[in-house]
This record gives sequence, structure tokens and C-alpha cells, in this order.
Amino acid sequence: MTAYISPFCMPFLEMRKMKRTGFCQAFLGGGALAALVPVVNMALRAETFTSQPGSPFQILMEANWQLMAQLNIFLLVCGACLLYHTEYADNGLQKARSLPLGSSGLFLGKLGILLSAGLIPLCLETASLTLCCMRWFPDRPGESLRILTGMAFAFAMLLPTGAAMLLLSSMCRNMWISLGAGVILVFFASMLPASSSSVSDVLALVPFCGPYRMLHELPGREAALWTVCLCLGESVLLCAAERVYQSIRRCFA
Amino acid sequence: MKTEFRPLTLFSLFGVELLKIRRSKIFLILLIPAVMMWLPSAMNANVNFLGSYDISPEHNYFIQGYMGMAWFMIPATLIVCTVLMNQTEISSRGLVKCLSLPVAAWKICLAKFLVTVFLTAVQLVLSIMAYYGSAALASGLYEYDFVLPLPYVCRAASLIYAAVIPAAAVYWIIGVLIRTPIFSVGLGLASIVPSVLMLNTKVWYCYPMDYPFYMLMTEYGKLVPELFSAKIELVPMVPIGIGTTLLCLTVACGRYGAAERNSGSL
Amino acid sequence: MSANIIETENLTKSYGNFTAVSNLSLHIKKGSVYGFLGPNGAGKSTTMKMLLGLTKPSSGSFHINGRTYPKDRLAILRDMGSFIEAPAFYGNLTGEENLEILRRILQLPKSAVEDALEIVGLTEHRKRLAKKYSLGMKQRLGLAGALLGHPPILILDEPTNGLDPIGIHEIRTLVRSLPEKYDCTVLVSSHLLPEVELMADDFGILNHGRLLFEGTMAALKRTADAAGLPTHDLEETFLAMIDIDNRNRGERR
Repeated sequence: MTAYISPFCMPFLEMRKMKRTGFCQAFLGGGALAALVPVVNMALRAETFTSQPGSPFQILMEANWQLMAQLNIFLLVCGACLLYHTEYADNGLQKARSLPLGSSGLFLGKLGILLSAGLIPLCLETASLTLCCMRWFPDRPGESLRILTGMAFAFAMLLPTGAAMLLLSSMCRNMWISLGAGVILVFFASMLPASSSSVSDVLALVPFCGPYRMLHELPGREAALWTVCLCLGESVLLCAAERVYQSIRRCFA
Repeated sequence: MKTEFRPLTLFSLFGVELLKIRRSKIFLILLIPAVMMWLPSAMNANVNFLGSYDISPEHNYFIQGYMGMAWFMIPATLIVCTVLMNQTEISSRGLVKCLSLPVAAWKICLAKFLVTVFLTAVQLVLSIMAYYGSAALASGLYEYDFVLPLPYVCRAASLIYAAVIPAAAVYWIIGVLIRTPIFSVGLGLASIVPSVLMLNTKVWYCYPMDYPFYMLMTEYGKLVPELFSAKIELVPMVPIGIGTTLLCLTVACGRYGAAERNSGSL
Repeated sequence: MSANIIETENLTKSYGNFTAVSNLSLHIKKGSVYGFLGPNGAGKSTTMKMLLGLTKPSSGSFHINGRTYPKDRLAILRDMGSFIEAPAFYGNLTGEENLEILRRILQLPKSAVEDALEIVGLTEHRKRLAKKYSLGMKQRLGLAGALLGHPPILILDEPTNGLDPIGIHEIRTLVRSLPEKYDCTVLVSSHLLPEVELMADDFGILNHGRLLFEGTMAALKRTADAAGLPTHDLEETFLAMIDIDNRNRGERR
């Protein structure tokens, strides 16, 4: 009789492997750094922003999100590399492959961890943005719902990037290659033009570009929902791609 | 068989360290970013005709191309090089062997840092070569002379690369003190991200990571005065830069090999 | 002036609560092969690392060739060739280049590399990358690094680890012949008594950081006889000594 481990257990199993690798600390530290960005920016140049009209959350996002999103993406890149590096480094992966587990279970478990870890910086950023609104824009209350939906949207935008980066690092035995490729991708994505709206709507779906998008840039509720759905679908597709890749690799291995 | 023993000079150790990075593909790490930056620039060189500022297309081409280098690619290559050099020592346990040889650890550390500086200089040359290649390509593609005179290019590029040395010392200490490669790279990369933000504040000189970008922006300011100040404010940048470099190198040299010495493992 | 080239006095190394080496006093005669014996984790490597200045003694002192640590650290290291922590080499370099690095640091003439390669029998593989070496070849490369320039003192930590029987025999013969050939003193560690028996003149037996015995093979047999331990098989003598010591430790606790 064989008992299969349910896929829902995989993230917990994977979590154990991350003990003492500094994975959580990295996300906490990186998140704290990203959360500091709006605070520092406001502290240094408060009058530039408080003089602007409109929603404080949107002002803060316009001013800081480029940097914060980039830090979030870097965290995902480093996290994904680390998740598979621990497997490849001491041949843990060989052992994991020899256990009665589907290799896509391994991938999904790691994706679960990566994305939940991605929530850490987002939560810290939400907190810091809320504090900034309260501290510097006390005359414009009622931003909390806007912040929450905005950050939820940001999380949805992170999904394809996380899945794509994890796919990349699962393909590379040598961590330096996946890390280097990830960094180069981040760099090029940040260089892509975000001005013309028809182009940027498409770019929102491209991994490494999407996280720079902000909810209030989208024309309406419907467009936002469509973008989120497409991102979810894209992440599922990337997981499927991992599955296909694994079966191809097994054929040639 | 034994010759008279004098303490090794820093120069001969520098030679030893250069020998260690043979075949380590570090040259590719230097070359790829330089080429990768300039090739797309040549392809899209026509955007330089549409500039909203009063700047000649060839100068705009030069500045825009080096902008990506100064902001991101030069620091990123440096980070990867420093971490790679430190990791080669850690993973091969070569450092343990070196510590049991009659040579002071701080000298090895300093020699390695000099190699990093040397690699930066190599990339400077590569980037200038890549610039000329791409400018020639762009000139052919769009029938406009994008090529700038060599003395101008060399001076501007050298200033950018010289300004990166304090940041290199910071990356060096990160590479020495943080032994998990992913974190030393991650921390280094994270330190690049806020450099543009810092450059726009009044205390930009407190953040050595934005010095190369600052150098480029002053060059930009010479051509488009309304965009950025053209005058390089040497004080307090130079003292802070030198101070940072010295502090980082002192700490790094002092801590070099400390983990190898104190590990209780076999 | 004693005939001992290495002497330690109450050398102790502790990490927090754990004492790796406790009050160790070794006497190693000039021109001899000294076998340093003990089970894994007995403190052999720690002792050797202290002699090489790789780790600082918690208390006690030692002098080598009339010099004391840490005052004459560089002068001591100049006289010693060492082989510790098994394969320490740069994988991106050839065997010859690896030795070239050591040669330059030691400021030896160019012929020293060829000479060392010849001694360990790696001459024909000298142009191959060190990462492509087999375990035995890596071990030999490490030995070549220790022998470079014929230092008067050699410190070898388990030099036969990972070698096949033929390799073990070769290395053993080599170590045995070193004192006469190059007028040097060898400190060689192992956890196998029969192996050291064939190489060494004097022995030191270490268990849990304490020296149980020091002297010649004949003296060891006499001691064992007096203590009623088996003497017909040295392996058993060694095991019995360790076992008694472990039991005594248990009682003391």
C-alpha cells in the first residue's frame, strides 16, 4: 500500500528544508528595506508630495513603487535561486527525486513557499504605506481600502514573475546561471518603456514587468479583474511548463 | 633548494590572484553586460533624434547608453565578481591552504581587492570598445555619425569607472563578511536599487553606490544644463569616498579568513 | 636544547563548553615520522590546525624548531608543508597551476613544481583541470602542495583518506622514505592504527582531546601488556585503549 503525500503538505515539507538558510530573514530584511523607501522619501522631501492633489496612496505609489517593486522582484529572484540551490548543492534533489513524490509536487511546494514569502515584504510595505498616509496626509483619510486593494493587486502581479523565476532556477543546476539570468531579466524589464498604455497593458502580463504596474493606472474595475485573471492563468501555464520540462528532462536523463 | 625569504610583495600576490581566476569565466561576466548594453542601443539609435532636450543625437546616444551601465551594469558586474572570487576561495577551501602558508591574510585580501579594481578597468576598456562598435553600427544603420571623439569618451567613461571604487570596496566587504553567496549578491543588488532615489536627495554623497551615476549626470548636465548641475562637487564626495574605501578595506582585511580560523569543523 | 623539533605544552582548545583538545603535550623528535592516532573527532585536526596557526589555542603554548607562536608565525609556516582538510584546490586551474600558486607564494624556484609532481606521480596529469581529477589524484595534488620545496616539517592530516589500497601503499612508502630522503620530520594523522604502524617511529594516541599514550611501538606494547590489554593485534590494543578511556570518562561524568 502506498500513501501519496498530498500536494497541500508539500509547502510545509519544503519549509523545513529552508531552516537555517536565512530564507525568511532575507524576505524580512528585503521587505523592511522596501518598506523604508516611502518613509525615507517622505522624510526627505515631504513638501514635494504633500503639495500634490489627489489620493495619498496614489501619490506614494507614483513616487516609490518603481523602487519597491524592483526590490520585491529581486527578492523573488534570490528566493527562487536559493530554493533550488539547497536542492542542487548537496544532491538533495537526487534524494527527493528518488522518493515517491511527483516532481511537480516539489515545484508546487516551492512555489507555495516563494509566494507566501513574497507576502512578507508586501505586508511590510502595506504597513509602511498606511503609516505614511497617516503621518503625512492626516487631512485626507479613508485610504485603507485603496491601499489593501492596491497591494492585493500587486501580489497578483507578482505571481507570474515568481513562477517564471522558479521555473528558470529549476532548470539550472548552477545557481550562478539562474541568478545571472534573473538579474539580467530584471534589468531589461526595468528598461522597457512603460509610457504608451496599449504596450504597457501587454507588458503587465510579462513576468518581471508586471510587478511595476499599479492598480490605479488601469482604466477600470473590469480591466483590473481581467489583468489579475490573466496573471493567474499565466502562472498556471508556467507550472504546466515546468511539468512538461520535467518529463522532457526525464526522457533525456 | 630554499631561496632567501623576503615577505611577498603585494604586486607578486596580485599576480598570484590573477592566476587563480584563470578559466573562471570572469571575463565573460565583464564582457556580456558591456555588449548587452550597447547592442540594443545601436538598434534603437533613432530615438536619439526625438529628444526633448537641446542635445545632439550622438551625445544623447552616449549618455543614454552609459546610463544603464553606470546605474546598474557596472555595480552588478562588480558584485558578481567580488562574490565569485570570495566563493571560489570558500568552496574550494583554497583559503585554508593559503592561511597555512607564510603570507599575511590581509595581504591576500588586499591583493584580491586590487584584482577587482583591475577587472573594473578591464571592463572600462571593454565598454569603450563596445561603445565604438555600437556607435559605428548605429551610424551605418541610420546614416548619421554617432561616433564621438576618443578623448571625450575615454575621459567620461574613466570618470564613471573611477567613481565606482568606493562602491567596489563596499561590495568587497559584503562579499567577505557574508558567506552565503545568494545573500551577498542579494544585498549588493538591493543596494543598487535606491541609488537613483538617493541621487535626487541633498545627501547623495552619503551613498557611494550612486557616485558613478552622479558622474554621468554631471556629464549630462554639461550638455543639458537645466537637467542636472554640471559642476562636480568634489567636497564632500571625495573625502567620503576615500573614507568609505579605507574603512571597508580595513575591516575586510582584518576579518579575512576569520571564519576559516575559528571553524570547529574538521 | 632537546632533540624535539615540535613540542607542545598543555595545549588546549575549547569551543564554548566543548573541549576539543585538552592539556596536550606532544614531543616530536627531529627526523622522525610521528603517527598521530585517534578516532574521528578526537581532536587531531584541531591540534594540527593550531600548529599551523589556523586556529588559536585557548591556553598552552608550543614551539616549533625553536620558534614560538604567535610571535614567529610566518617563520614557522615557512618551515612547514601541510596537507589539511583534504582537497583544497582551485577547480578552474590545472594541477600544475594549483602548485604554481603555492610556489609563487613560497617564492621557490620554478623547478619545485615539476619536482613535487614527480614525487607524487602526477606528472602526466599535470595539464588536466583539478576538478576533473579523481579523488586519489586530488589527494596526491594536496600532498604535492605539502611537499613543495621540501620543507623541514610536514604536517599531513589523514593523507590516505579516499585512496585505493594501491594508492595507500604508495603514499605510505612515500611518507616512510621522506625523513631519509629530504631530512625532514613528518607528523601524520590517521584513525587506523595498522596503517600508522607501518609508517611511524613514534605514536601519540588521542581520544576526546586527551593524550592517552605517547612513545614508540615497543613502549606501546609494554604499556598494553602491563594494563592487561590484548597485544597480538594492534588494532585491538588501540580499540581497547579507546574503549577503556571512554568508560572512564563515563564514570567521571
